[in-house]
Amino acid sequence: MPSMAFASAQPAVPEGGTVLAERPYEASIEMITWVTIVWDDPVNLMSYVTHVFMTYFHYSKSKATKLMLQVHNEGKSVVSSGTREAMETDVNAMHAYGLWASLERAE
Amino acid sequence: MTRFKKSGRQILITLADYEEAVLESMVEQLIGLLEGDGVRASSDDPFAQWEADMAEPGGLDTSDPVIARLFPPAYRDDPPAEQEFRRFTETAQRRTRIEQAHVVLNGLLETNAGRDPAIVRNIDVEAWLKTIAAIRLSLSVRLGIETADDIEHLENLDDNEPRAVLYNMYEWLGYFLEGLLDKVG
Repeated sequence: MPSMAFASAQPAVPEGGTVLAERPYEASIEMITWVTIVWDDPVNLMSYVTHVFMTYFHYSKSKATKLMLQVHNEGKSVVSSGTREAMETDVNAMHAYGLWASLERAE
Repeated sequence: MTRFKKSGRQILITLADYEEAVLESMVEQLIGLLEGDGVRASSDDPFAQWEADMAEPGGLDTSDPVIARLFPPAYRDDPPAEQEFRRFTETAQRRTRIEQAHVVLNGLLETNAGRDPAIVRNIDVEAWLKTIAAIRLSLSVRLGIETADDIEHLENLDDNEPRAVLYNMYEWLGYFLEGLLDKVG
């Protein structure tokens, strides 16, 4: 610290505004949710895609069927959500089954 | 004609000799494609395995559209993230697929050219499904199937066309997958 003796002779005047404490950046990153998206393709069988959703995610038959139909009819479906790392694991697993999957930040 | 039968905790697949031969050859082709010039099935030596994991993965020809289809991008709009993802997943993904293809290949070899049924044990079901699905995807790329319209076009091909043979195999693999899934579910 410099000696106060060399500080300005002017009395200190508080300026407007409030000093913000630094934001905990790391914590906000963890809050971001990612999603795994499965895209439609004309090759993978509907029964196979349903089987994959049931086997890998342990979804019920009705939920797996609903997601499969969404992929088929709307071109894509969000099949899982969570941390980025977890979604990378899910996408990798979908690729292992031959499904066309990717991950992105949740909107 | 291929038949599927559930027997206790396993599924028996009866194949004609020519079906067994064709499937065997397709599985071998898949293994060759996945091996490229680098990755082999797991090593028993943990150090050799670790070395293999750390080595720069080589030989996977990503300009081959079949490889591109079997290893699609995980990050569609973020090339650096995609590169990182590949670096950490590709080698293990390739090795697992090769091992699963070998499970199928061994199962086929044990049929004595289709004289005995292929035995799919419960724990091997996913290996069979994934391998057959991967072969079917490979064929779809060679056939140029990108939309449902492409399939319609292929269905109307003249039987003498070379692609018609490939398309018949593609259809048969679909039938095969359905048959297997029917016994799994």
